[in-house]
Amino acid sequence: MRPTPNTDRPTSHNLMRFHFSLLLLVTAGLVVAFAPLPAQPITPQERTFEIDAHQFAYSPSEIKVNPGDTVTIQLVSTDVVHGIYVDDYDISVEADPGQSATLTFVADKPGSFRFRCNITCGAMHPFMIGKLTVGSNNWLYRSIGLAALAVLGMTVSRKQKA
Amino acid sequence: MKRPELIARFLIVTGILLAVGAPLFLWARTPLIHARMAEDGGWNPDIIQAQVGKPLHLKITSDDVVHGFAVGQMDMQSVDILPGKVTDITLNFDKPGIYTFYCTRWCGLNHWRMRGTIEVSGSPLDPEPVSPPLYVSLDLDLDAPHEAPLIPADQPSAINGQPLTATNSITLSREDYLTHSPYDVFTELKNTSLTEEQRWDVVAYIWQSNTTSVSFANGKELYAQNCAACHGENGAGDGVFADDLAIAGESSMQSMEGAMDMVMQSPVDFTDPHRMLGASPALLQGKILRGGMGTGMPMWGSIFTEEQIWDLIAYIYSFQFEYQN
Repeated sequence: MRPTPNTDRPTSHNLMRFHFSLLLLVTAGLVVAFAPLPAQPITPQERTFEIDAHQFAYSPSEIKVNPGDTVTIQLVSTDVVHGIYVDDYDISVEADPGQSATLTFVADKPGSFRFRCNITCGAMHPFMIGKLTVGSNNWLYRSIGLAALAVLGMTVSRKQKA
Repeated sequence: MKRPELIARFLIVTGILLAVGAPLFLWARTPLIHARMAEDGGWNPDIIQAQVGKPLHLKITSDDVVHGFAVGQMDMQSVDILPGKVTDITLNFDKPGIYTFYCTRWCGLNHWRMRGTIEVSGSPLDPEPVSPPLYVSLDLDLDAPHEAPLIPADQPSAINGQPLTATNSITLSREDYLTHSPYDVFTELKNTSLTEEQRWDVVAYIWQSNTTSVSFANGKELYAQNCAACHGENGAGDGVFADDLAIAGESSMQSMEGAMDMVMQSPVDFTDPHRMLGASPALLQGKILRGGMGTGMPMWGSIFTEEQIWDLIAYIYSFQFEYQN
């Protein structure tokens, strides 16, 4: 909050109102940021994705699963030897053309993880990446909520000063 | 300058030269082989000299993607050649001759063109007599169509064929198996009391009994590593390179019958009964040995041993017959 200039001293009544709305905003912010979400019971299922690997991309390059799912990735290379390594899960598999390889794991860590090619497959090999998303991105929604609260707080304080 | 100073200087200079030169000299004795995709030149150098009884040391590195190194018809584990890494390989040859070394990891459409030779000199210089392959002694024309005029309604089953073969005491020598197509054997069973379907089942059982589970597994592995990229994992001629081969065929038409060549460019479909039931093991061996004369089918004669080729053929027939697991 901006320190209010001396020429415009708020009355004690105004000050109380101001403190009250500040407290309200901060509380709302804490709730948005840290309130536990109602747990939605999601029954884990088995999912299979066929990922086609070619120089220098995966298609599909983004896969989304729910926490607890048993995920099977079938890697099919269509030009040279490629691999797939999933960050944080620390698992990998490689596939030669004509020999598809599968990778099965339980998605027990929520969040977004890069997967990348772990076999040097040519000039742009370092840029061959994709994304595995486990569960919904709650922090995104929480930060949107916080941003909205901040905007609200700014407008309220402006109004009170006016 | 005084004499001792001169000697000291001389010694120091000589020492430095030796310290720098000796490792350089030794390192230069083993040239580094560079592996690149076939389109960019393949192996460089691709001709290596060696001698019988003297271990051959090779240093290989890759300039682009992952390659592999193995020598054909030798019992050796293939070695991966990684970019930015120098791999040391030591080979021992006990017979003189010309060996083919080749890439073992798929590195693109023309991966199989990545080959080189090792010329091994030395004694014994009397080469062992080599018998010509079956298709030569049988005078088979590899490029003529060998279609089966009649095909079974359902997939023949070796499981049903086993009791039928035993009760009718049908036998077929190994030599007859190699030189006859499934359709030939089916025709020869005319004189039995079996129905057409039963005759096909007997053929399936005969074909299954000409391989062992070990050979079959070996053939399956060879197929996955060397054939599936074009012919497809299920033998349907739809491997990941099938379309690329057709496009490559279109762009490389320089023959009198260009249109025909383009058709030949797509890999053969092993699930097609007309084609497979009319082909004898000897014919398939010829095709694998010699390769496909401008179709993009590699020549495997210098890479696979005869035993490996028979294992592979036994596996290829399994796309036609239902075998016991």
